[in-house]
Amino acid sequence: MEARIAPQMPVMEKLKILAAAAKYDVSCSSSGSSRRNDGTGIGNTLAAGICHSFAADGRCISLLKILFTNECIYDCRYCINRCSNDVPRASFTPDEVCSLTMEFYRRNYIEGLFLSSGILYSPSYTMELICETLHKLRTVHRFQGYIHVKAIPGADPTLIQRAGYLADRMSVNLEMATAEGLKEMAPNKHRKNILQPMRQIQNGITANQNELALYRHAPHFCEAGQSTQMVIGALPESDYQIMSVAENLYDKFSLKRVYYSAFVNVNGDKALPAAASEPPLLREHRLYQADWLLRFYDFRVEELLTQDRPNFNLAIDPKTDWAVRHLENFPVEINRADYRTLLRVPGVGVKSARRIVAARRFGSLRFEDLKKMGVVLKRALYFITCSGRMMYPTRLEEDYIVRNLTYQNQMGRGEKLPFMTDGTVYRQMSLWDDGLLSG
Amino acid sequence: MIIRDRLEISGMEEKYMICEDSPEGIFTAIYDAYALREGHEHIHIQVGEEDDRRLFAVYLHSSPDLGKTEKVVRTLRRRLGEEVYLTLCQAAASRYMDKGEAVYRTVVSGITEGNGRRTMENLRDPYVARCFALARRTANEVHHEIEFLRFRELEQGALYAKIGPENNVLPFVMPHFADRLSVENFMIHDVGRGLFGVHRAGQTWYLVSDTEGFPEESLRWSREEEKYQELFCLFCRTIGIEERENRALQRQMFPLRFREYTVEF
Repeated sequence: MEARIAPQMPVMEKLKILAAAAKYDVSCSSSGSSRRNDGTGIGNTLAAGICHSFAADGRCISLLKILFTNECIYDCRYCINRCSNDVPRASFTPDEVCSLTMEFYRRNYIEGLFLSSGILYSPSYTMELICETLHKLRTVHRFQGYIHVKAIPGADPTLIQRAGYLADRMSVNLEMATAEGLKEMAPNKHRKNILQPMRQIQNGITANQNELALYRHAPHFCEAGQSTQMVIGALPESDYQIMSVAENLYDKFSLKRVYYSAFVNVNGDKALPAAASEPPLLREHRLYQADWLLRFYDFRVEELLTQDRPNFNLAIDPKTDWAVRHLENFPVEINRADYRTLLRVPGVGVKSARRIVAARRFGSLRFEDLKKMGVVLKRALYFITCSGRMMYPTRLEEDYIVRNLTYQNQMGRGEKLPFMTDGTVYRQMSLWDDGLLSG
Repeated sequence: MIIRDRLEISGMEEKYMICEDSPEGIFTAIYDAYALREGHEHIHIQVGEEDDRRLFAVYLHSSPDLGKTEKVVRTLRRRLGEEVYLTLCQAAASRYMDKGEAVYRTVVSGITEGNGRRTMENLRDPYVARCFALARRTANEVHHEIEFLRFRELEQGALYAKIGPENNVLPFVMPHFADRLSVENFMIHDVGRGLFGVHRAGQTWYLVSDTEGFPEESLRWSREEEKYQELFCLFCRTIGIEERENRALQRQMFPLRFREYTVEF
C-alpha cells in the first residue's frame, strides 16, 4: 500500500498537528499500575499517577498525548479530523513516536505515552501500526513507563489482544450516551462495534488476573484497566441517562474510569449547539462529582436522579443535593456513626471519614479536631453533631440549608469551583478589556 | 554530648534542648531528652538558635551524633512501624521550626503512651496533629518536585535538574528517580540548600553538600537539548483547548514558585 503522507515533514510540524488533533480526548491519567524498574531501561509506574504539567485550560499534562495519524476514513460530526474536513494531515513513524517518548520521559516532561489514531485505510491496518510502535518502544527501547492506547473498534481481536499486553491502560470511546445519539453523530460507528472490544478487554483482564494468581511472573494485560469517554451536551441527553450508562459500564464492564467531555463545537455544525456558546463546564463538573459518588461513596444513580428529576442541580453539588432531600438521615453523630454513614455527610470525604473513625478511638472528637482532619465544616455543619451538639444553632430544613449554602457560594466563600458559577470560564477582569474605559 | 548551662536544675524548671536543624539533630535531641530520665513534661526540643531565651528556663545543647540517631531510628521503626517513621522523617524535613517539639511529643505519645503504629491516628493530640500537618506539607512538596522538576541533558549525556523547595525534600525525591532512571547518570541540585543528589547508572544514590558554590555556568548542554525543550513547549501550548482556557486553574495546579525551574513557562 502506498503511503499518502509526505514523509519529509519535520517532527516539530507533525507534533503540532497530531497533538492538536488529540487534545479533545479527555483521559490523561497515568494511574492504576504500579511497576518498579528492572534495571534494563528507563521507566516505572506509580499507582497514584503523576501529572507533569498543566495546560492553559488547567487540565493536566501527564502523558504525551498524540494521534499516530489524523488521516481518517470516518466522518463523525463532532470530530475535527473527520474525512470531510479540510485540515492539514500528518502521520508519525513508529521511530519518531519512540524517540519523542524516550527523550521527553528522560527529562521528566511526561509519565508515558497516550497513543490514539484516526483510521488510516482500515481499523486493523491502523491497529497494526499502533502495535508495531508499542512493541518497538517496549522491546527495543526497553521503555517501562506508562502507556495508554486506544483499541480501535472493528480491528482484528488478535491485534487488540497484542496491544493489551504492551499497554498499561486501554480505552474505547463510547462517544455518545445512547445508541441513537451515536448513530446521529457518527454514521460510521456502531454501538455494538464499540462494546465488543470493551468486552474483549474486560475478559482479557479477568483471564490475566487468574493467570497472575497462578504464575506470578506472567505478563500483565492492561494492568491499569480500561476507560472510556462520553461527549456531554452535543445532544439533549439527560444527566440521568448519562449516569445510568456510566453505572452500567462500571458494573457490567468493570471500567476503571468513565470520562465526560463538555462538547466543543469544533466543526461549527449548525444542527448542534451553537459554536459560539461556551462548553457546558459546570454540568461536566457535576457529572464528575456524581461519578466520584458512584465509585468511592457507595451511591447508586437512582438515589441521585430519577426519571422525573433527570438533571443535576447546578447550584449545589450532587452530594449536598442528595443530603438536603434526605434530611431524615441527619444530623449524624460524628463520634458514633459508622464509616458508610460518615461518607454520606456533605463536606466529609473518604480520607477525612477514615481519619475520624481512627481518631475517635482515642477519645471523643470536637469540631476543631474535625477541621484539622480536613472536614469542610462550612458544608458539614448543617448535618453533624459532635457529642450531641451542633456547631451553631441551625435549622434542619431543606430551604434554610440550601439558602445558606447558595448564599455562601454567591459570596465566593462556599464551594470552590474551577470556574465561575454561571458555567463560564474564570477570567481575570482587566480595566483595559474591550472598552470598559473607552467611552 | 550535653553541655549544661547551669549546674543547679530544679525539678520544676522548663528545659530546652537546642539541636541542629536536621533529622539527625532532632533524633539525637530525642535521645538526649530520654537520657535525662526526668519524664517529658518539662522538656522541650528547639531547633536552631535559641533566639528568645526565657527566664527561668534551662538551655541544653545537643549536637548531632550518628550512633544516637541510629539507636533512635531503630527504636522508632520497631515500635512505631515504617509508616509512622516515614511521617516523622517528613515532619523533620519541614522548614517550620516548631517541628522539633512536634516530632518529640509525637514520639513520646507513640512510645511512652504506647500508641505504637496507631500514633498518627490520634489527631486530637495537638502535637500529633501538627506533626501530621508538617509531614503532609513536605509530602505534598515531594510530590510536586517529582511532577515538576525538569532534567536537562549535558554534553556527555548525563542529566541535571535544579530545584528550589521550601522543605528539605531531596532525600525523598531521590529514591523515585533512582528507580525510574536506573540506567542514567543524573544529579538533582537543591539550590537553596547547596545540596546535591547524585546517581550513577546502575548504582545507589547519595547526597553531597557543597558550600563552595557550584560552577553552574560551566555546564554545557547537549546539542539535542534545545530541540526537545522546544518540542515540549510546543506540545504544552498545543494540547490546551482554547474554548476552556482557565489560567486561574492552571495557576492553582501549577504554583508559580515551581515554574522558575521548568522549561515550558
